[in-house]
Amino acid sequence: MTSSLPPAPPPSLPEAPELPRRTRYRRPRRSISWIALFIGLLLGVGGGLYYAWEIAPVEETDTAPYQLRDEDKAQYVAAAMLRYKYDGDLDRAINTLVELNLGADPIQAVADMACNLARTDYIDSNAGLNGVLAMMNFYRLQGRSGCADQIIPAPAQDALVITLVAPTPTATLPPPPTKTPTPPSAFVVSPTPTILVVPTTPPQRDFVIASIRDFCDSEIEGVIEVFVQDFNGDGIPGQAVRVRWDDGSNIFYTGLKPERGPAYADFQMTPNRAYIIDMPGRANPPANPLVADTCFTEEGIESLRSYRVVFRPAN
Amino acid sequence: MRILLSLIIGLALGAGIGLYLGWVQFPVEYVDSPASALAQEYKDAYVVNVAAAYRDERDPNAAVERLRILGVPNVPVYVQEVTERFISTSRPIEEVRHLVALAEGLGRLTQIMEEYRPIEPTETAP
Repeated sequence: MTSSLPPAPPPSLPEAPELPRRTRYRRPRRSISWIALFIGLLLGVGGGLYYAWEIAPVEETDTAPYQLRDEDKAQYVAAAMLRYKYDGDLDRAINTLVELNLGADPIQAVADMACNLARTDYIDSNAGLNGVLAMMNFYRLQGRSGCADQIIPAPAQDALVITLVAPTPTATLPPPPTKTPTPPSAFVVSPTPTILVVPTTPPQRDFVIASIRDFCDSEIEGVIEVFVQDFNGDGIPGQAVRVRWDDGSNIFYTGLKPERGPAYADFQMTPNRAYIIDMPGRANPPANPLVADTCFTEEGIESLRSYRVVFRPAN
Repeated sequence: MRILLSLIIGLALGAGIGLYLGWVQFPVEYVDSPASALAQEYKDAYVVNVAAAYRDERDPNAAVERLRILGVPNVPVYVQEVTERFISTSRPIEEVRHLVALAEGLGRLTQIMEEYRPIEPTETAP
């Protein structure tokens, strides 16, 4: 009889191999060292920034005016002020100053720039001097001041001087003979005519056009008659009035025709040309231009239309 | 070996990020630049301002002196180029007239500018 008994178990089971404990010394190795990667990243960013900022910075091609160095910025401003002096466009001038980031008070900054330029040899040339004068003209009209006002004499248009010439000398008859011999003389000339210089300063208040009236007169053809008056309707002499046309402009002053009163100034228009009239920096122009077109007087005489414009203080 | 490889990868990534930041995101901003580095639009504005001043002063030497800061080798030729570009691109007529007046003052009036020559006012008795 055969035995079908299963084989007898071994006397004891073999011990299962003990798994190694998962300690930090026995973790499986990763292919990347995070610490080394982080250090490399820091070094790389630092090196990249150094290269991009110091060694090979972006090429400077689109510099804005506010990035200019001081001396070039001053010349940029001077050119803008010269243009303002020519065309009186205050908005454009202010926009240019805004582009320069001149701080909270860009107009005073212009005064400070003019001051700095006036202390240098920049004003030795006509180009420089006129630039500084244009800057002074701008900031003065806006009620600012700077040391350039003391360094450079005031320009003619800012401190207008009206010269009044006394009547010309007349010849006087020789005196009757006296007992005392006198040297022979055909006539005696009175002393040199007296020249009275009356400096005036334009008042700082602003003006508006109080009225514009057109009229047709056979003796006054195509003339703009201007009256600049104060609050009481009295004339103010020495006020600059400007007319502009397509491609030109002219400035004239009140009070230079004393027979018409201190408020008066006039301008002869060219037929059929449109003119804009204002007081530069003081009063805005009217909405419609003045045109010297053909008109007929009450007597039926053909003439050119004339205008009478009255400026008065705004307030 | 593993550390070295990680360091190299980190350096490469970091350098890329650094260059992007330095060139694109936060490029160097210059603050003491010469006028010669101005963007073209500002150079044009400056030339027009000088040309307007020229119409007021009629002093070509003053205009040349003012334009010298742009660092161009030949100021009259540069004014001519700007003027012709303004005409070709239909820029504001008043600016073109300023430029044409200056170009003429500098002896660089060309045929294309003739039409835009400003008629300067004759002396009118006030």
